[in-house]
Amino acid sequence: MTAAHDAAIGAERLVRDYPAVRAVDGIDLAIERGQVFGFLGANGSGKTTTIRMLTTLLRPTAGRAYVDGLDVQREPAEVRRRIGVALQEAGLDDLQTGRELLTLQGRLQGVPRRNVDARAAELLRIVDLEDAADRRIGTYSGGMQRRLDLASALVHRPRIVFLDEPTTGLDPISRDQVWRYVEQLNREDGVTFFLTTQYLEEADRLADEVAIIDAGRIVAQGSPAELKATIGADVVTIRVDADDGAAIARAVLRIEELEGLEEVRTLDDAVVVYITDGSRAIARLVTLVQEAGLDVREVTLAQPTLDDVFLRATGRHLEVDADTSAPRAGEEGA
Amino acid sequence: MTALILGTYQLAWRAVRETIRQPGVEVGNLFIPLFFFFVTVGAISNIAAPALGIENYEAFQLPVAVTQGVAGAAAVSGVAIVKDIESGYFDKLLLTPMPRLAIVLGRLIADGIRCMAFTSIIVAVLSFFTSGMEAGPLGYLVVIALAGLFGVAYSGIGVAIGLRTGNAQAAQAGFLLFFPLLFLSPAFAPKEFFDPWMEFLASINPVTYLLEGMRTLALDGWEWDNLAGAFASAFGLGAVTTALALWALRTRTA
Repeated sequence: MTAAHDAAIGAERLVRDYPAVRAVDGIDLAIERGQVFGFLGANGSGKTTTIRMLTTLLRPTAGRAYVDGLDVQREPAEVRRRIGVALQEAGLDDLQTGRELLTLQGRLQGVPRRNVDARAAELLRIVDLEDAADRRIGTYSGGMQRRLDLASALVHRPRIVFLDEPTTGLDPISRDQVWRYVEQLNREDGVTFFLTTQYLEEADRLADEVAIIDAGRIVAQGSPAELKATIGADVVTIRVDADDGAAIARAVLRIEELEGLEEVRTLDDAVVVYITDGSRAIARLVTLVQEAGLDVREVTLAQPTLDDVFLRATGRHLEVDADTSAPRAGEEGA
Repeated sequence: MTALILGTYQLAWRAVRETIRQPGVEVGNLFIPLFFFFVTVGAISNIAAPALGIENYEAFQLPVAVTQGVAGAAAVSGVAIVKDIESGYFDKLLLTPMPRLAIVLGRLIADGIRCMAFTSIIVAVLSFFTSGMEAGPLGYLVVIALAGLFGVAYSGIGVAIGLRTGNAQAAQAGFLLFFPLLFLSPAFAPKEFFDPWMEFLASINPVTYLLEGMRTLALDGWEWDNLAGAFASAFGLGAVTTALALWALRTRTA
């Protein structure tokens, strides 16, 4: 494994405290060049705090962070020169046009004057904003703003890009466009991406490696396939009508005696069973649940997903707000 | 150094462009000083000669209108900084490799330019009512330059409050600080008429020296002592407020 200080992005026992709360609690990272790294976690889990430390916006309370071999605290300006960042809130200026914003950002990032106009035009074409290039950003839709924000993170051709929940709040079409840009840049230019997300599908599709963060700690890490393989079994979810804790406990006790069982969990109105050869076990599972006095409402059999990995690692599903553009209470600064 | 100059220039130009694109915001900053000029002159000019020994009270009031306009215009920057913080654009600027000092300097220099533009309009309008400028056309240019310097200096207050608090209302309140400074200065009468305590306060008030420098140009011509006092007070106030703004930037980005 690459050492943190030699990696594209690295961290050693990184900690950030806020008054009364430890937002990040001893994170270690070593992300290799050319990787798409997915940082998966619920609101308030510490994703944004981590990305703000790695991008020089926030000082760690303890530990060290490295980007492209540079110590983030010792050489912040050089780190900023080498990275592109699109934060969760598309930080744009409503009074500028899209073209002006990219040109200004390019100049501030050190793109020579003779190149900056051409680079802005190229990016506007890539993110499908040519027609809106000379309109004020205040007139853009949320999806257009997000694409422009992504373009502004790329204006100086960084080799390492941080994207903080880049598709949160986007419609499916805009989300797919962002995913395609990321895939293209990674594949064709070898750009390293550090991507925080609360969308399992996003991590599954884009990431070479995923880390799950919960309460400031990395609780699972590996490629999506490796993580799913750790489940090692099919997932049978049995939803029941009654909210009868005693009956559910009885059902769990009986299920625990089954051969091939990896794990059984209860979750609200469901019993989630990780078991080898799930298709064969379904009939027996349903019988056991019914014998415990519960009415079965629905049974599903699935291959393990990242959600199952998340559930096993954190004890709960990764739930995303319906209006995901607004962070939940407790996300501020975390 | 080059990065600082380039960043400052780019951000100053962006701030100036903001002004051009929302002219409505600036109308009040022009209206208020002109309104106060006319009501003050209307109320006092007839008694100014016998009571205060000032024959040309309109010219006496011209610097008050200029400084009032400058204070109003310069207060906008604190609010603009807060808006950048709230929108996340401030973070985007922090994520560039340019020296962060450029974020503050760009705003302050843009305010200097804006204030000179405002002052040009105020002076142009009021020149019809003030019987000219004793120091001649060059005097107008010096008044405009002094206004620009005072704009940079006064803008530092709002920028410092905006950076420290991240609160638009608090940043806007920076403008209110101007009124004590104005009323503790010889805005309406020469300070020789003040009670001793008031004269003392006026003597340590930078706005006093700014007004007296501009008045010299309007009423007496080129009196270098007063002009030097005006420039020194603008630079002194600017040094203090810029230091405050940089301290606020440092605490925000720590």
